[in-house]
Order: sequence, then C-alpha cells, then structure tokens
Amino acid sequence: MNAGMPSSTISLQARGVAKSFESGRVRSTVLHDLTLDMRSGELTLISGPSGCGKSTLLAILSGLQRPDAGQVTALGQDLGQLDIRALERFRLLHTGFVFQGFNLFPALNAVEQVELPLSYLGLAPREARRRAVASLEEVGLGPRMRLRPSELSGGEKQRVAIARALAKEPELLFADEPTSALDAANGQTIIDILHRIARAHGTTVLCVSHDPRLVGHADRVLAMEDGRILSDRSQPSLPDAVPGLKESAS
Amino acid sequence: MVALARKTLVYEWRRFLPAILAVGFAGLLQLLQAALVLGIFGSASVYITGSSADLWAGYPGTQSVNLGRPIDAGVEMRLRMDPAVTQVEPFHWVDADWRGPSDTGGVSVFVSGIDTRADGMMFAHALPAALRARLNEPGAVIVDRADLGSLGVQVGDKAVINGHRVRVVGVSSGLRALGGVNVVASLATAAELDTDPANATRMTYFVAKVHDPDQAAAVAARLRGTTSFGSYDVWTARDFARRSQLYWMFDTGAGAGVLFLAGIVFLVGAVITSQTLVAAVIGSVREYATLNALGVGVGALRKVVMEQAFWVGAIGLVGSALLGGIFFAFARSRSVPVALDPITVAACLLLGMGLAIVSGLAAMRSLRRADPASLLR
Repeated sequence: MNAGMPSSTISLQARGVAKSFESGRVRSTVLHDLTLDMRSGELTLISGPSGCGKSTLLAILSGLQRPDAGQVTALGQDLGQLDIRALERFRLLHTGFVFQGFNLFPALNAVEQVELPLSYLGLAPREARRRAVASLEEVGLGPRMRLRPSELSGGEKQRVAIARALAKEPELLFADEPTSALDAANGQTIIDILHRIARAHGTTVLCVSHDPRLVGHADRVLAMEDGRILSDRSQPSLPDAVPGLKESAS
Repeated sequence: MVALARKTLVYEWRRFLPAILAVGFAGLLQLLQAALVLGIFGSASVYITGSSADLWAGYPGTQSVNLGRPIDAGVEMRLRMDPAVTQVEPFHWVDADWRGPSDTGGVSVFVSGIDTRADGMMFAHALPAALRARLNEPGAVIVDRADLGSLGVQVGDKAVINGHRVRVVGVSSGLRALGGVNVVASLATAAELDTDPANATRMTYFVAKVHDPDQAAAVAARLRGTTSFGSYDVWTARDFARRSQLYWMFDTGAGAGVLFLAGIVFLVGAVITSQTLVAAVIGSVREYATLNALGVGVGALRKVVMEQAFWVGAIGLVGSALLGGIFFAFARSRSVPVALDPITVAACLLLGMGLAIVSGLAAMRSLRRADPASLLR
C-alpha cells in the first residue's frame, strides 16, 4: 500500500525486545522477545486489553524506557547506544508525543503551548510562531489559538496536544490512548487527524489504544496480548475520513 | 521563547502567594530586626557618634563607653603635646540616681559632663550652640525629648540628682542612650553631682580632634604607647563606637538572640517557600514530563523552576522593601530607635533572595517525578 509514497521505508525497528518488571519477589514479564518493523507514512495501531504490554512497548520504541534485552533502531539510530542526554536530544529532534491526558500548561494559550517546545529547538521566535500557527490550523484550531486550556473542550485540548507534537515536524509520532478521554465524535476526529499526519507528512505514527472504534482507521493493526503480538494486519488504503484533505505525496 | 515561568506565576498566582508572602515577611522581619538592632545598639555609642571628636582616651580595656573609669587629668597634657592634636576636651561621666518631681521613683541616669563652649566636641551633633550655652547655668541639665516621660519632668522643672538640685533647661533629640537615661550637664555641674571624692582630680575620658581625621588611627597608636600619666588607652572614635556596640550586642547575649531569631526566620521562610514551590512543581509535573518526552531537557525544566523561585523572591522582597520603608518611617516619627544603612538593607534582601533560591533548589528535586514513562499508563 501507499506504493507511490517515497517515504515508505522502515523507520522504526524492534529486534528481540523483552521487558519485565519486579514488584517484591514477583517478576512479571511484560514483553516477550518482540520483533517489529514500522514504516513511515503509516498509522500503526497497537490494540489489546489493558495490561497486555502495549504502553510498555510504546515507551521502549519511543526511547522513554530501555528494554531488558533486544534492540530498538529508530531512523537508523540504535537507541541503546544513546545516553540520557542524547536520548533527550533525539526525542527533541525526531519524535512527537500525544498522551491520554492532554498535559497542557494552564497558563498558556494554545499557540504558546505549541511554541514552547519549538523554542527549545533553537528556532527563531518568528519561525516558531509561524510553525505553531500552521500546526494549529492543520488540526482545525486556527480560530481558537488564543484560548487557554480552561476555555477549550476535551477534543480541542487533544488537538492542541497533537499540534504541539506536530509542530516539531517529527519523523516519529507516538500516541498513547489519545481518544480514551473523549467521546465518539471527538475520538473520530483525533484518529483522522493522526492518520492524515501520517499521510501528509510521511510520519511514522504509532498509536496505542484499546478503543475498538479506531481499528477501522489504521493502516496496520497489531493485536497484543500477554506481551506478545497475536496478529499483524495491514488494511487496504482507507478513504480519507476528513473531507477536503490534500495529500502531500501527490 | 515562551515565558513559561512568568506566565504560570501570573496565571496561578494563588498557588504561589504563600511563597511570596513567606519571602516577603521573612525579608520584612530581617529588615525590621536589623533596623531595631542597629538603632538600639547604635545608641550604646551615642556619646561617641553624637560627638565630633576623632580620638578618645580612657581607662585601659574599657569595653563600652558607659563602663568608663576615671583616668589621670594629666592625660590631657599628654594629648596636647602631640603635634597632630588640635583640640582636647574632658568628658566627665557620672553614674547617678535621679528623682523627679512626679512620682517616678528613682531612675538610673548617666550624667555627661561636657565642655559647653560653642565649638565643644561632645554632643556636637545633638546640641546646637545656643542649647549648650544654657548649660552654663549652675545645676542646668538637658535631656532627650523622648526621655521626659520616664524622668517625669517637663522643660523648666526641677529634679534631684545624687542629692543635688538640677533644672531641666532644654530638650534635644539624638541623646538617647542604652542602659540608662542620658542627662547632659556642664563639666562644673557634673563635678558637683559626682559623689566620689576620688574623682576630684580625675576625668572619665579626654576626647581630641586631630588635624587630619584620616590619620586618627596612627595618632592613637602613637599616644597609647606611653605610661607617663598612669594607665590609659587611646582609641579612634570609630573603633570605640564599634567596641561599645559590639559589647552590648554580644556580651549581653542580645546579639546571639538576634542571630538566633534571624536563623529561625530564615528557616521558617524557607520551609514555607520550598513547600509551596514543591507543590507548584508537583501540580505541573505531568506537563513537565510531557515537555521532557518531547525532548526538552531536565536542565531546561530546572531553569523554569529556578526562574519561578527568583520571581517569587523578587516580588516578595519588593513587598518587604516597601512595607519596611513605611514601618521605618513610622518608627522614626515615634522616636523608636531604628537605623539602617545600605549594606544592611542589601544584606537583608540578599538573605531573602537566598531563601527563595534555596527553596527553588529544594523544589527542583521534585522534578525527578517528571518521568515521561510514567505518563504511559
């Protein structure tokens, strides 16, 4: 699928990744020897019941946690070789995150929320503002970019969080249960936006969710249970869910 | 650059208010305490600081001006013999008992017998020439306006010191002393009030002026070497004033109390401030963790916390400076002995800022909870 897209290369790779946690004397294995490739320009959904290890997998693939065994290669870089500083730097330059809670600063309006991480990228204020505005417009919040989180709905807050991740122009975008705090309509909008980002920017989007409504919107669905991948399905190219979108690869 | 620290401080000011108040009150307490200490203990040396003399000659080892013992009157000659000395004047100190016309009982007073000439050095800063001249009347005394109440007299009233009748011929300000009420009289009156016959040919202090005040220390060192007129010592006015203040501050235990209190104020302020800042960090810990996930380094997040601590300190200290100024002016208007100098003010404000910074450092530690992996639950 997406055969014409120039960016459908493998961007994120896990080889024999294993992780276990100890609580007291009990040692429970969360991930068993997992191997996985992900392509750019795709929205991959990892679904499964809670406790199946999908969030841990996301944490390891995104470099927030280290595996006990195995190797994660992101954009050709072995994450195990990077120290904490270098990992932070890698995340700053290449990854975006969207979390279940929106985690927006109450004091900042939407455009400032998006600008904040950009200023640490070393962008000039004018360029940071331009990118922030463009990202907010891309998620459909152009008219509401001066509002603070307390003046925004849940769905709008999540869109600000997505714009914050998107404005960095990351190659890798990770989303953890991005719709579970939202109603059906807002959840639909969010997943459509994520899908569109994968298509339009050639971003590798990895979304973790137990929400079965999202399955139909992903390019690829990995079903997980007990720390193992049970099935790996690629889905036929989806029609654009949000009308009026343009494909950047066209 | 988005001013996260400042915007959060403004938007969530209620959250930071306890810290601002803690820093503000800590600063205010330090300022007022310093002003009172300097004011009260500064008055221990009012005899020296209120006078224009450069040198003081007195009994060896005298720790404070109010503890003077008589020295040989010949010391005056020795001082005059030095070519650098331009003027010498005796100062007769009498520890005495006052009985006023009103029912105030006995009041312990210090009688200062001074040279009443218009260019006299003793209390030159507190007594103008006209007032000094009034002391020439036998039995005339001048007291500080603020002491009238405790002495139970008004200007013109008569009283009894050591069994001799005296009359209050005027009042001044800047005569208040520590440890007892300061009563100024002429040398002749003071000699009459002195009940110790051994003091007839002796004097408590001789004060002197030198050509070049900058050379006072060298002249003092030269003069203290000789013993030809019995034992005496010579100090510069500055040294003797400091010596008197330090005596009161530390040998009386008051200074230790002041330092102790300053420490307590600092500690309480730091505990409140750091707790408030910690709560503010914890309140935003998920947002900080998200920033860290997006690659904003822990160092940058620490900077945000420290910037907040700085602003909390700055706002609090502006408040303490304003309030301190108002209290200071009020105390002055009520003759409460307060004194401040720029260095002390700067030290107090710096202490307040130190408090805020220490609290910020303490709050910074709670950033460790901003682990982005903890957001993936």
